[in-house]
Amino acid sequence: MTTTSAPAKPGRFIGKMLLQGGTVVALIVLIGFFFAMRPDIFLTFTNVKNILFQVSILAIIAGAQTVVMVVGDFDLSLAATSSLSGAVAAALMLAGVPMWVAILIALAVGLLIGVVNGLLIAYLNLSAFVATLATMTSVIGLAYLVTAGTTLFSLPNEFNNLGQGKLFNVPLPVYIAIVISVILWTVLRFTTIGRSWHAVGGNAEVSRLSGVNVRRARLLAFAVAGLVAAIGGILLAARLGSASAVQGSDNLMFSVAAVFLGMTVIKSGQANLGGTMVGVSIIGVMSNGLNILGVNSYIQQVVTGLIIIAAVTLSSLKTRER
Amino acid sequence: MRTRFKGLVAIAAVAALALTGCSTSGGGSSSSSSTEKKPFKVIAFTSGNQTPIGAWWVKAVTQKGKDLGWDLTMIQGDFDFQKMNPAVESAIGQGADAILDGYTDVASIGSIITAAKDAKIPIFAMDSATAPSDAFVVNITTNQQGIVDSTMGAFDKALGGLKGKNIMVIGHDPHPGIRLRASLAEKALIAAGANIAGGDIQKVKSPATGRTEALALVADYLTAHPGGLDAVWVGWDDAALGASKAVTEAGSKAKVTGVDATSEAIAEIQAGGAFLATIEQPWPKILDTVIADMTSYHKDGTLPAKNFEAVATTLVDASNAASITPSDKLQ
Repeated sequence: MTTTSAPAKPGRFIGKMLLQGGTVVALIVLIGFFFAMRPDIFLTFTNVKNILFQVSILAIIAGAQTVVMVVGDFDLSLAATSSLSGAVAAALMLAGVPMWVAILIALAVGLLIGVVNGLLIAYLNLSAFVATLATMTSVIGLAYLVTAGTTLFSLPNEFNNLGQGKLFNVPLPVYIAIVISVILWTVLRFTTIGRSWHAVGGNAEVSRLSGVNVRRARLLAFAVAGLVAAIGGILLAARLGSASAVQGSDNLMFSVAAVFLGMTVIKSGQANLGGTMVGVSIIGVMSNGLNILGVNSYIQQVVTGLIIIAAVTLSSLKTRER
Repeated sequence: MRTRFKGLVAIAAVAALALTGCSTSGGGSSSSSSTEKKPFKVIAFTSGNQTPIGAWWVKAVTQKGKDLGWDLTMIQGDFDFQKMNPAVESAIGQGADAILDGYTDVASIGSIITAAKDAKIPIFAMDSATAPSDAFVVNITTNQQGIVDSTMGAFDKALGGLKGKNIMVIGHDPHPGIRLRASLAEKALIAAGANIAGGDIQKVKSPATGRTEALALVADYLTAHPGGLDAVWVGWDDAALGASKAVTEAGSKAKVTGVDATSEAIAEIQAGGAFLATIEQPWPKILDTVIADMTSYHKDGTLPAKNFEAVATTLVDASNAASITPSDKLQ
């Protein structure tokens, strides 16, 4: 009995290509579409800078979400953590605490929330959904306490410059987002802990049998995510020149969406930082492009949801193919 | 036997009188002797306790209730009607003389209104509907047309007329007050010959992210239409602050107005940038009027003559900003 391998059909080849690179293709198609609609505006330096500025904080928080999703978990408290950190920094500065001390304390708050999440999930074996939902609720309450339900403003100019200042006519948050993304990418790709995170996300039991300290790896992932989310929240407060308990709350949904979009970029279908940044770009390009075309914000929300569904479907098809 | 019968009749008469006395205290028209003994039982609720004005309202009502000797049950809903409505209905089930609704839209409290009507308990309200409603014995809010007229006047003065000017209107549909005034602003601008930037009211989806949403909307619009905005009318200060930031960052000369008179908006107006004006709504005065209505009802059962009142507001601009108490600093 002989077996012959059938030549790949063109239809199947295109399907496979879409499956492999669907998200990148979607980004290119979106850029092409909006450029075709507004060639005079869309790819100008001003507008590209505008898009980068608008997604810079989301990119940081999505980077944090990527770390926990690499480990196979997710963190619903990240946006709340970022809001609380921004609020803590603002409240301390308004109380007369020097800017860098206030920022360090706010970062410590983010780190602490991450550690609490990590302990609950890795050591007390709570599900990530339940644990981070609970911490999210408490953290939002804490943010209301810190801000007394109001918006804190009149922050020092030096602080506001972190979010509003420019270098070579490009806003500082764009550089900060790039630096953080590169650091996270390096850690995920080239360090022992990064490899441990990938291993735990791939198969926790096999990792444990291979000598990886799974609990410590998961704890560290949540701690890093909390810290990075705090950077995002502090930058958001600096960008707006104010802090409130719920500011940036949409970053939760968009960060998860960006990671899911990015999971379709690589062959394994796992969370990865490069893919997440493609996801963030899709969200930013779509929001900016639809605004430029004057599309109603309600329709924008529907379209965003549909694109996420498409990405998750692609991701699940890819997983099944494996 | 006759003496025992007389005794039973006397006990029955005393018991009947006592029961009559108890049962008349449910409304406001009870005899003075019974009201002196029994405090006025009030259920107060608000869904907006997490906003600065809502937080002020909770504190102010609690203090006024204490001063007036009310038996007050305060229910704070955190914008969660699934939690708040049953809590209020449960309190109604335990009996009350009156209900006070602060800043909770009539459309969201249908079950509370039904429960109150069934129990014959009047609802006094402030800023709970933008039009007369049978749900309330009184609802006092601010004059939305007046707000629009004042802000349009500010634009007219700053821009040298509205005809032919490109003005963006930013609203938020779930809030009935903002929805109404945004629609009135759009109509006023069209009537004055202005162009509505973007062709329609721009809608912010969530008040929590209002500032960043408005910032992105205006920034993207100005990127697509450099110099294409003369003004941005925004339904509330938080989003107006995002719009004014976008205008400033784009180097545009457009002017922005908001509504609420928050500290931050007043500070921006005083700084003399893009933020031109906001609106002060007299919430302490409105609360005093509603409390006076409730006190009259408690005293002799008198209900307010009208069930809806829309009071005048004050335009806050550079000329009077220093003298205004910000809405988030109300005592």
